[in-house]
Amino acid sequence: MKDTSPPPPIVSLRAVQKYYGTYHALRGIDLDIGEGEFFSLLGPSGCGKTTLLRTIAGFEDISEGTLLLSGQDMSGVPANKRPTNMVFQSYAIFPHLSVAENVAFGLRRRSDLSKQARQVMVEEALDMVGLGGYGARAAHALSGGQRQRVALARALILKPKVLLLDEPLSALDKKLREQMQNELRRLQRHVGITFVLVTHDQEEALIMSDRIAVMFEGEIAQLADPQTLYRRPLSRRVADFIGVMNFLPARATETGAEISGLGRATITPEQCPAGPLSGDCTIGIRPETMSILFGDEPAPASETRGLVHELAYYGDMTYYDILLDGVEKPVTLSMKNLVGRRVLERGETARISWDERALVAFAN
Amino acid sequence: MFRNSETARGLTLIAPPALYALLLLAVPLLAIFAFSFWSQDFLTIDYTPTLNNYREAFSEPLYAQLLLRSVLIAGAVTLATVVLAFPIAYFVSFHVAPSRKSLWIFLITIPFWTSYLIRVFLWKVILGYNGVLNSSLLGLGVIDEPLTFILYNANAVVITLAHAFAPFAILPIFVSLEKIDRSLLEASRDLGENTVMTFLRVTLPLAVPGVVAATLIVFIPTIGDYVTPRLVGGPNGLMIANMIQTQFLKLNNAPMGATLAVIAMGIVTVLSLIFIFLNRRWLKGRKT
Repeated sequence: MKDTSPPPPIVSLRAVQKYYGTYHALRGIDLDIGEGEFFSLLGPSGCGKTTLLRTIAGFEDISEGTLLLSGQDMSGVPANKRPTNMVFQSYAIFPHLSVAENVAFGLRRRSDLSKQARQVMVEEALDMVGLGGYGARAAHALSGGQRQRVALARALILKPKVLLLDEPLSALDKKLREQMQNELRRLQRHVGITFVLVTHDQEEALIMSDRIAVMFEGEIAQLADPQTLYRRPLSRRVADFIGVMNFLPARATETGAEISGLGRATITPEQCPAGPLSGDCTIGIRPETMSILFGDEPAPASETRGLVHELAYYGDMTYYDILLDGVEKPVTLSMKNLVGRRVLERGETARISWDERALVAFAN
Repeated sequence: MFRNSETARGLTLIAPPALYALLLLAVPLLAIFAFSFWSQDFLTIDYTPTLNNYREAFSEPLYAQLLLRSVLIAGAVTLATVVLAFPIAYFVSFHVAPSRKSLWIFLITIPFWTSYLIRVFLWKVILGYNGVLNSSLLGLGVIDEPLTFILYNANAVVITLAHAFAPFAILPIFVSLEKIDRSLLEASRDLGENTVMTFLRVTLPLAVPGVVAATLIVFIPTIGDYVTPRLVGGPNGLMIANMIQTQFLKLNNAPMGATLAVIAMGIVTVLSLIFIFLNRRWLKGRKT
């Protein structure tokens, strides 16, 4: 259903470097973000994702390289002249203004608008974020979620080419965060504006984004859509950062690998995203692609045996740490707690089903 | 009465300072207030309550003139101090590295290291007919004869007081600028405003509480200042406090002095209330 031809880039970074004194914050970023895309910059704190976002916004100048916004070079263009708007992590709602005055803040320079037209625009913007009728409220009397909505309305009313969101959901509690994730996604589809989201929450990035750039130490480690990122991570580090992955030592063979604890498996070239394997390597497998076999249930693909080392019962799921033969570190696997399915106990021996199609191979 | 032991403990705790405040603030104030309704003949005080002092104070043009001058000088001092203090506070808050801010604030308080009286005398040396300022300007050929409008008049009082009260204005403005979330300034830039408009639309409104505090802190004490007009003010720079002193100590008319003090306090109160009322919109909207 996704259009395969890439949309024209609205944000374009070429060989962008950023130094703070001797600290190298961005190390050669090349990036194209398409029109109407929901794009996420994902990484641990200090990886440069916020710096990159602030560079696009114009709050930081770039040391080397070029930044184009809808084809125009942004060097020397200050933040107030750029076609971007930002939702700040702290929301940055002006405490001395009402909700409506906050939303209308950026409209001052639009001298073509009458007072009535402004009011209508503000009302529409507030309606869009679900804050209709809140215009007269004092900004400091709002809750965190409401501030977030005001910040969104304030930015979107200016119809920017790109909306930049700096960890907008990190200050909200879990329930509200999940609700806002859905709403942001809906809003983005509705307005059709390019969203660039900075987050350290991999789940959030997977749920919301069209494409994700994973960043470590000022570099983009992988740029892909959520499914590719999850299924075919380019490196162990990316794999480890996105969800949970078990790593098993292995030796490359002609058609695949000999994996400790699992046995022989065929590995296709697609399963080696970082290139063909040779010698000692590492095989990654996600917890949900393995399962425990009960009774004499036949294995759908391959089978191995292990000892239940530890388990964590989550209600809907149980996470088992299983010790496989010849592997020091237990592997994690998750089981849905279906009706009539038993939860194993520590020390029990279990038959484990796994599938070679779920494996990902990494060079050591 | 003190059924709640916590209340009793609280009251015991505040008793010494409360007593101190009562003895040293409330009682003298009440005495001044009482004196203003009495009268004095040489050294004997007549305790019959009378409004004659107030009648005289309001009908004698000299008092009105001194009161008006006090208000104008205090107003000028306040304006000069706050207008000059704002850029300094702004600079320290926005352009000094965080690790150096306390050093800067410390340096700003240097004028307090010397006694107030000595500072006033120093201004005499600087502003005098053969003073530092005049001889420098003469030496440089900027002027042909010494400037006379800078000493022994109201200007000298304003200059001296503005210098003395500068830290009182800088500190509250600095604090209010420090409290401004820097992302608000970025948000304003992001929403299309340049540096000047960001200052006018965000920084200045959010600094208003500090400016209000600075204004009151400078205005209230300067209106009643006695030493500076006495030493650098000359005959045309005298203020109401000098007249109060004269009434008490030279004319042996304590009731008249007390009356003028009460009137001066009343004027300060009314002016401050008007000022606060005008700024209530800003003060009310702020919450951190």
